Amino acid sequence: MLVMGEVHTGLLQSSGEIPESACRDVLHLMSGETVRLSRRPMIYAVSPDLLTGVDCRLPSASRSRIRGVGTVVSHSSITGGRVVQGSSYARVERAETDRRLAWSHYLARPGVIEVLGKAKSSDLGDGFIGDPQPNGLDLGSISARFMDVVQSSPLLDRRAPFKVARTKVRWVAQPGDPAIRFTLNADQTRTIRIAHSGDFTPAVVDLCEDLALHDWLLTTLLLIVERARIGGRAGPEVVAKLAPAVDHLLHLWMPAARVDEALVPYWHGLEDRMRFTAQWERLVRRIRDQLTLNDAAMLRSARHP
Amino acid sequence: MTSVDATFGEVAAERRTASAPLSHVSIELGHLYMEDFEAGPERLRQQFRRVAPWAATVRTSWQDRVPGRRARVSTCFLIDDYFSRFSTPAELIPMVLEAAAECDLTIDYLARESACAVSDGVELAKLVEDRLVDDPSPDTNGSRPPVKETGWLCNGSRSPQVGSVQAMGKAQRWAPPVQNAKRGHSVFVDVELWDEHGGKRTWSCPFLAAVWQLLRLGLLRREGRLPVRPVPRDDAFPEDWESLPAIVQLNPAAAPFSAYTTLSVLSPRFLPVELAVRTILSQVAVDGDVLEQVAARSGGEGIKLEDELVDRISYVFT
Amino acid sequence: MLIFAISGKGGTGRSVTSTNIVYRHALQGNDVCYLDFDFGSPTAGAIFSVGAVARGTRRHGLHEYLRGDCAEPHQVDVWSESDREGLRTRPPEAGRLVLLPGSEGGGELSGGNEDMVRRCVQLFSRLNEEFDLCMVDVSAGRSYTAELVLNATARLPSIPFRWLVFHRWTRQHIIAADGLVRGDDGLLDAGARLGHDPEALRDRIRFVRTAVLEPDAAELVGLRDEQRAWLFACDQELRELAGRHKVGRTAMLGKIPLDPILQWREQIISDEDVLASKIANAETASAFDELAKKIVDDTAWEGL
Repeated sequence: MLVMGEVHTGLLQSSGEIPESACRDVLHLMSGETVRLSRRPMIYAVSPDLLTGVDCRLPSASRSRIRGVGTVVSHSSITGGRVVQGSSYARVERAETDRRLAWSHYLARPGVIEVLGKAKSSDLGDGFIGDPQPNGLDLGSISARFMDVVQSSPLLDRRAPFKVARTKVRWVAQPGDPAIRFTLNADQTRTIRIAHSGDFTPAVVDLCEDLALHDWLLTTLLLIVERARIGGRAGPEVVAKLAPAVDHLLHLWMPAARVDEALVPYWHGLEDRMRFTAQWERLVRRIRDQLTLNDAAMLRSARHP
Repeated sequence: MTSVDATFGEVAAERRTASAPLSHVSIELGHLYMEDFEAGPERLRQQFRRVAPWAATVRTSWQDRVPGRRARVSTCFLIDDYFSRFSTPAELIPMVLEAAAECDLTIDYLARESACAVSDGVELAKLVEDRLVDDPSPDTNGSRPPVKETGWLCNGSRSPQVGSVQAMGKAQRWAPPVQNAKRGHSVFVDVELWDEHGGKRTWSCPFLAAVWQLLRLGLLRREGRLPVRPVPRDDAFPEDWESLPAIVQLNPAAAPFSAYTTLSVLSPRFLPVELAVRTILSQVAVDGDVLEQVAARSGGEGIKLEDELVDRISYVFT
Repeated sequence: MLIFAISGKGGTGRSVTSTNIVYRHALQGNDVCYLDFDFGSPTAGAIFSVGAVARGTRRHGLHEYLRGDCAEPHQVDVWSESDREGLRTRPPEAGRLVLLPGSEGGGELSGGNEDMVRRCVQLFSRLNEEFDLCMVDVSAGRSYTAELVLNATARLPSIPFRWLVFHRWTRQHIIAADGLVRGDDGLLDAGARLGHDPEALRDRIRFVRTAVLEPDAAELVGLRDEQRAWLFACDQELRELAGRHKVGRTAMLGKIPLDPILQWREQIISDEDVLASKIANAETASAFDELAKKIVDDTAWEGL
């Protein structure tokens, strides 16, 4: 019927970026399962997929009581040794009977939540993207815990270079003519709706995680620039405030690097509308200009003390 | 300029899963505890006499399922060397083999129970424990981590804590435990998985039995590889259990150790243990790739396996 | 950084002082949050003049969160939700100022609940990711709440934390503050049992004197000579008492002068209250400002 997911993104709680070996150790969430890791175009490490059982009300725009039983798939990942994500999703499918079956039935279908009774795919999707009801399916809390498990690893020193809130991206994917809509809400939440031709594949999850990563990078860079109060305080102070961005963020921007080729057009489509990269580049230029100005000022004062 | 179709792959980022050779059915001919041993060889012969007809029946029924081909049936025998140590392989194994031969049974594989806990430095029990996905009670929406009683696993919701967590607040009253998938009334099962004394963990008998079933079903992997492989027997059996491989292949012509399905022929005194085993197994999430592998292999032979792995396990209590 | 505000006895002005410190810390450009762990009477909303949560929040307060009845506690953005005009405009240099209120009708939480400790650890850990400073109002005396946060911080060895023990400048309060820290089952004793290193824990505790009336204060100008002499003698006696109880100057992080505005209405003292309406004393505001700097100034926290 449809797939629902939620990705949380935040700054890894360590003073610097962590090396490959540490990524492996931190993400080793299940014995006997290796952490998958790719090195190009930057280090990306992901924990094995883990399941969480649920039996609860599913979201519904019409506030209908819809019960779903099954499992949610989740993993944690670290990009560039610096950014953490906790990601969860579940495929929602119609059950063959209206009563709950033995748990082994659901475990034989990992990552599927079966709907007991009647439900419309659009009603579920709208409900999930819209205002979530209390006590309904809470993918956000599951993803948050998959971030916590990384952030609280004893291998991290917890001395992050700056403080920043996590962002939350809720997404829904349904079959249809290819389309994507990204919505920025007032708080730290964003929503994505994707229509995909053909069957759902985990590549859609990768796409949403990549979008969430870049949205977090942009959100965080905007925050750092805002906190620096360019023009509102002395140059060296501004530069000190901007420094963490240069040290920890600027090199991480690499849109669609991990996205399946077939889904790259979704990224391009969003770029055309939202101009993610253009905004990022403008901010980066602004930061670099401040650094240059400050260097020039320092040079001048050194020559004419 | 023409466009070039370029691909890039990274080996480390890809996941590989080894496949296990599989029989059609793995028959457990017996499970030997110290008390059985102490009762002498006659007890063993009794057990094998009871098992023999059932083993023959299963062999025939699988032969009927694969007409024109040879049914792959392997037999195994488990010796407890975990909860109590007795005798030596050199003394015990020949006695077991002799008793089986008297009843026209061949034991293809012999396994040590402690291997289900740790084998060649691989903690099989931990591997399985990490794959437990708790059966959620109604209204489990993911907002809280699964309710856990450390070291225990149940098939429903336990009785709530009686009393109040907040001063001057309403007290929580007693309520009965409830089975999640109940039909009318509950059969609530709460299984102890392990206990710890002085920092040393002892896995429970049902938990090791669950690991044993998963091994026989060929569903366990460690970093994509098979965690245990049967080792052909030496001419002589060793004097201590540690020197005996986890699984010894006694019959060189045996069908593969692991199988699509298992049958265990057991004394009814094991009934509660096996209920606990099923409670555990119905909460183990087997690697999806492994499940698909097995489904593809059996499908290729025209055999439709049950989706749920607990339904691939059968018993005769006699 | 986590800061725990506690007092030996009630009525010290612990809540009003710690809210003002947090407010000043936000004005100094830091992202801060205030956690109302005074579970018996969750009224921090009133001090921040957020009427909607003056007696705690109706949805997802800290009580519900710690009991496990909600996934995330309600956060109130003081800059946008306060009823006070003066607090509703966030100065450009200020950081975030967020209140996590208790639940309306919430009461003290019972001890010895492992799930609650885990949730508390999760809360501190997540907030530390997001805020420069989290001020936790732990209420007065030996309590399950103090035990809960001692337990939680023992499990978060890499998150820095400090304790402020508030007391008034009276015999009873000095004795009580010392007892709370060093007495049997006090912070050091209980902390050690829960896994803290007592030496390290001691170095993370400082005292704050509240409602202090200096014998040479302007308010005392009209006093008779006999009264003034008596006051000096009292003050001297208290100094000696404080010294004996190790609550003296060296262990003190700061003091807040007696200010009528704090006696009659527990509120945030803004610069406007000092400069425009002049209802508050400039000394009070600068004492808060000073403390807001000192709580994160490592030189003020060097080993005693």
